[in-house]
Amino acid sequence: MSLFSWRNSALPTFSRGGVHPDEHKELTEHLPIEDFIPTNVYLPVSQSLGASAEPLVAKAAKVKRGDVIAKVPGGVSLHAPVSGIVKGVATGPHASLVYDTVITIQVKPSEDDPQFPEQFGWQTLPVAQMLERIRDAGVVGLGGAAFPTYRKLSLPKDAKVDTLVINGSECEPYLTCDYRLMLEESEKVVLGSWLIARIIGVANCVIGVEDNKQPAAEKLRQTIAELGLDKMEPPVKMTVVVTQTRYPQGSEKQLVQSLTGRMVPKGGLPLAVGVVVQNVATAIACLDAIRNGKPVMERVVTVSGRGILSPKNLRVPIGTSVEDIIAHCGGYAGDVVKILLGGPMMGRTIADLDVSVTKGTSGLLFLTAAETSITHYQPCISCGECVDACPMGLEPNRVSQYMEVGRPLETLQFGVKECFECGCCSYSCPSHRPLVQFMQVAKAAYRRQERKTT
Amino acid sequence: MSEAEVTSPPTLHLSSGPHIASGRTTGQIMWMVNLSLLPALLWAWAVFGWPVLAVTASSILGCITAEYLACRIAKTESTVPDGSAFCSGLLLAFTLPPAIPIWMPFIGGVLAIVFTKAVFGGLGYNIFNVALVGRAMMMATFPVEMTTRWLTPALGNVDAVSSATVLAQIKLGGQEALNKILAAVPDGGHLWLDFFLGMRAGSVGEVSVLMIMLGAAFLFWKGIIKLYIPLSILVGVALMAPFSPAPTIYMLSGGIWLGAFFMATDYVTSPITPKGQIIFGLGIGLLTGIIRNWGGYPEGICYAIMLMNILTPALNDWFRPKRLTAGGAPS
Ligand code: SF4
Ligand code: SF4
Repeated sequence: MSLFSWRNSALPTFSRGGVHPDEHKELTEHLPIEDFIPTNVYLPVSQSLGASAEPLVAKAAKVKRGDVIAKVPGGVSLHAPVSGIVKGVATGPHASLVYDTVITIQVKPSEDDPQFPEQFGWQTLPVAQMLERIRDAGVVGLGGAAFPTYRKLSLPKDAKVDTLVINGSECEPYLTCDYRLMLEESEKVVLGSWLIARIIGVANCVIGVEDNKQPAAEKLRQTIAELGLDKMEPPVKMTVVVTQTRYPQGSEKQLVQSLTGRMVPKGGLPLAVGVVVQNVATAIACLDAIRNGKPVMERVVTVSGRGILSPKNLRVPIGTSVEDIIAHCGGYAGDVVKILLGGPMMGRTIADLDVSVTKGTSGLLFLTAAETSITHYQPCISCGECVDACPMGLEPNRVSQYMEVGRPLETLQFGVKECFECGCCSYSCPSHRPLVQFMQVAKAAYRRQERKTT
Repeated sequence: MSEAEVTSPPTLHLSSGPHIASGRTTGQIMWMVNLSLLPALLWAWAVFGWPVLAVTASSILGCITAEYLACRIAKTESTVPDGSAFCSGLLLAFTLPPAIPIWMPFIGGVLAIVFTKAVFGGLGYNIFNVALVGRAMMMATFPVEMTTRWLTPALGNVDAVSSATVLAQIKLGGQEALNKILAAVPDGGHLWLDFFLGMRAGSVGEVSVLMIMLGAAFLFWKGIIKLYIPLSILVGVALMAPFSPAPTIYMLSGGIWLGAFFMATDYVTSPITPKGQIIFGLGIGLLTGIIRNWGGYPEGICYAIMLMNILTPALNDWFRPKRLTAGGAPS
């Protein structure tokens, strides 16, 4: 915990743990979203959590922007983000799966590319049809989770939900893509949120924005006032709540607690306390899907870090390769020691520049040695920093000690299964212990044991 | 594939997150603790003169030598630079009489590192506070020197060897001894003020409550120590103070402040949660009182802390952090 724990203490926040990393948002927060279309896109067919997708096109096929090119049977689809020619369908690198089937499309825009204009009567579509459009547009959680959105919004019959929380926290350092969207496309954020509120049948929507993004909160408030949502049918009361800047404010459980004061039960979903959470970019995608019939074909990615010459907020087609983005952003600046997809707290390192942007990629960071921590770790000195920092009240120190002596299956008592890998513990550890890694390995040991016994 | 040739950076690292850290390191913490002990050391130097620096250097040298050799023997990277052995040496010196023969602190330092740290596996694995074990071993090995080699404080000219600390005199002579001491205080002087400022005979680093508090305030400001342990120790000691003939002196002497803020707060050997820390501190305070009032030693915080060190693993098991779960407000 830092001395800053009491700054702005009047603002709502979660009850325990958390850290205040340097924000580094100044690198990109002032930069308007820029478009970039590469010459080729490389689309791994697996873009969401869950079952794997099947490619539906073959080499040499001509595709148009918006065509379905892969599909999870009975689930979300992947669409051609650009018009062009399929140059190949082959095994290629994937950001998290290591390998996947990758469809390569050579970009060839043409006059008659579909434009996805606003469709008549979108506000009054039946809920079932709205959900269908969300599914068919391939909408997944764009905050990083990539969970299919239609599934999250198809509530069980007995669910009692009264609040929609829209997550504009963007609590990961460096990332500013959601911030720019809230500023530049506030109307879409608000309308999208209204639609989601309609789908889940609630009249109360809270948009949570961290204190370091005041202009976005202001902009959203203005937009809400202008649109007059409480006069629309059905009316939705929409409020913007500014929370403390404190990582992991944007984690579902923490955000729900900050905004509603409700505690999501252990192992449960926000649904259990009557709340559904959606990210701001996902709200926009839902609006695009329902109002314009426009599938998810592109996303905004924050390209940042001291290791890239010109940091940017880039809107790129899904499938744009890391290599092309590096070239577009002027190449490296300084000695890059880590390339990350996502933010610096929970993002993944990549080794292969052919990896491409998927629907869940919020950031592409190039970190130099001065920004990141690469060092070997030391024994636990029992300082308790990790315990203080853990938002779930777990004991990563004890887990790490048990792991070091080879006793992974005795760590349940310290809460390994409740760990959501936010990274606050490792971040705070003065001995640089890879505590998240210990938690991951312990969890894997339990999963293995469960597989063996069932 | 792209407009310009882009190659992979030569030394890409792969790891799980997080990829940034708070910047605080174990070494940094230890050196900040060392720095925070500087006011007390300078004060001791001012009132007791050069022997203070000799004793301190000797003890630090003993600790560092042992640490270095232990790492060599274990074939691990030397942990001397992390400052923890230096810190143990400094703290050990702070508990010694300033006129003790110069070679003894060296032996004490070596023994402390070898028997508390090295044999248990190095930093983080010790059960007892390293400096206190050193002191306890020296008490057993050099009982006479450890209790008689005091210096009378004098800003400027030092040399007079005094025979016993005030606490020891009171322990032996009770109310009568106290009266004698009080009678010896010159007009206009206050015994408690001498104790607070550090104008009295005592161990190197513990004579001045003021200087210790300065250092402790620095550590608190830097977020290195929390106050649960020190405050509950002081409460515990205060509860036992009425049983002593001189409660104020009792509170201001015998290394209570050094022990409370610098020894008992040692991360490795103290519990992690606030509740555990409060019990730990109260235990130390009460035990100190029991040892002083009814035990064989005039002081006692050293043994009190070591006794509670033994309980630390159990306290960590009994008082766990509160999990974030449904229903009710979390801690
Ligand atoms: S990564 Fe897990 S153990 Fe570490 S702080 Fe986050 S929830 Fe707690
Ligand atoms: S932060 Fe690191 S050194 Fe401190 S208790 Fe946790 S694991 Fe141990």
